[in-house]
Amino acid sequence: MGFTLRDHTADVAVEADGESLGAVFAAVADGLTAAMCDDPAETGDRFSFAVRAESREALLFDYLDQLIYERDVRGVLPAAHEATVRREGDEWVVEASARGVPFADVDARDVKAVTYSEMRLAETDAGWEAYVVFDV
Amino acid sequence: METREFGDIELRRVREHVWEIPQEGEMNAPARVLASEALLDHIGDDKTLEQLRNATHLPGITKHAICMPDGHQGYGFPVGGVGATDTTDGCISPGAVGYDINCGVRMMTTNLTYEDLQGHEEELVDALFEAVPSGLGGGGVVKGDAETIEDILARGMQWAVDAGYATDDDLAHCEDEGFRDDARPEFVSQKAKDRGRNQIGSLGSGNHFLEVQRVTDVYREDVAESFGLEADQIVVLIHCGSRGLGHQTCTDYLRRIEKEHKDLLDDLPDKELAAAPAGSELAEEYYGAMCAAINFAWVNRQLIMHRTREVFADVFDRDWRDMEMRLLYDVAHNIAKKEVHEVGVDPEGRPVRDGDAVEREERELYVHRKGATRAFPAGRPELPPAYADVGQPVIIPGSMGAGSYVLRGGDQSLDLTFGSTAHGAGRLMSRTKAKQEYWGETVQDELREQEKIYVKAQSGATVAEEAPGVYKDVDEVVRVSDELGIGDKVARTFPVCNIKG
Repeated sequence: MGFTLRDHTADVAVEADGESLGAVFAAVADGLTAAMCDDPAETGDRFSFAVRAESREALLFDYLDQLIYERDVRGVLPAAHEATVRREGDEWVVEASARGVPFADVDARDVKAVTYSEMRLAETDAGWEAYVVFDV
Repeated sequence: METREFGDIELRRVREHVWEIPQEGEMNAPARVLASEALLDHIGDDKTLEQLRNATHLPGITKHAICMPDGHQGYGFPVGGVGATDTTDGCISPGAVGYDINCGVRMMTTNLTYEDLQGHEEELVDALFEAVPSGLGGGGVVKGDAETIEDILARGMQWAVDAGYATDDDLAHCEDEGFRDDARPEFVSQKAKDRGRNQIGSLGSGNHFLEVQRVTDVYREDVAESFGLEADQIVVLIHCGSRGLGHQTCTDYLRRIEKEHKDLLDDLPDKELAAAPAGSELAEEYYGAMCAAINFAWVNRQLIMHRTREVFADVFDRDWRDMEMRLLYDVAHNIAKKEVHEVGVDPEGRPVRDGDAVEREERELYVHRKGATRAFPAGRPELPPAYADVGQPVIIPGSMGAGSYVLRGGDQSLDLTFGSTAHGAGRLMSRTKAKQEYWGETVQDELREQEKIYVKAQSGATVAEEAPGVYKDVDEVVRVSDELGIGDKVARTFPVCNIKG
């Protein structure tokens, strides 16, 4: 269970799996971190946030978008992701946290945005799997 | 009829360098690929053609969806894609503009020669790297408060003139004079503004760079003279976009389209093609927000150019004006703009392909260029006075080992591509594979020792990902553009110093 960076002509794709929706969300986010930095430092404080959306796919999109936003606004590389996902009425909710590694401590590069292109989020016998393309 | 097949897609050869995917099924128009046989082999190698065919499903797409010679797979709409949609009954598609709104290039000329610069390369590349923010979290030339952001979004390079970062001459040599009047900052989200605040005047990373180059070849002396270019001259090329502000704007509107125009989205083969119907409130708001992000990107490149002038002044110990550091042109390659084009129409006045047209009419269209450069020939009213009689400069950056080209808008561009041509060499190899094939430091050493190109980057991985070998042959891309008459070769440049994130 975890993630793999996959080939994409211009951008970068993350394939991930996990035992639960929360685990696969966090694994995709770990893939996003790996796309930005080969070796994140063990520094920084954890921060938490929650995101709501109308479907599981939209929630995954908005969660990753929020991480990119937090990165730019907090000035940190989010790493060591944790997430739990639940349904609340018509909405899906993710409660997440990450360790914000100060940019000064890492050799990192930009990922511009999450995309819906070829996005896959599906239940498997072992849990959940996901495929997400990021714009670099 | 000569045909080529790639998976389930058959292309028919129309003439030299022009291939067509015929209209069928749910397609609203045929698609065209402008490529030599060699480039077509690359284009057919990934999902570019499938994405191009998907793009023909956009409502109101006029004449053809078109792939430029440097086209490659993107997300939704292919990179190197051009699609014109009707502004009354068509749509506007954030997905067909891309996340990096007004990603583009500008070139600044100088009166220095390569000889003047030799011996200063290391000092220059270090000083540029120090002065120009790059990479992730590198900050910006200006740290903007809320008021500054609003002003930049509303007024573009006019703000830069008032703030002392630009001259009137800079404005006169920028697409749209560096300012989109349709900008509506109130439609840019607070999230986008928050992201932009720390990034005003920054390169970012990926394929963005600043490069000091020397002019190695001049192909059209008269045009080069109008552009102020001559052999052996030093020029500076800057490639970047609207940073987090633009990326967030695209993301925000993709999600709003998903929520507010689900019916239209459900009819499209790829969610990333997300489009708002022309005339809808959302279409108007996206257009206003996109134009504001366009203004932000022009200011971004302007501030980097301002810093570059200061660095040259320090390194060469003279005022930048004495080195005649003038903006040649700034041109966008991720953009949608309302433009008037002549199109063939059927007896009911509906735009149709030329062979089926009974007459021609001028129509206002949203021309989406995603990884494609506007290439207007002489005579278009949008051109600045300096280039009105010669055609607009088109800047085609190549890889850091191959050099770049300056073209001018070709006479055939209006007929073939809604006034567009390529935007670069086009990627060939994925970033993950590039990092397995290349090692950043080795690439840097080889470029310095073998080609006298000095590269400095925040991240060694970026150098590996952007190694010259990951790109297509820019010479071939430009040859096709020139032979089709959509962008004519004017001059070629070769890198001397390159900085990147």
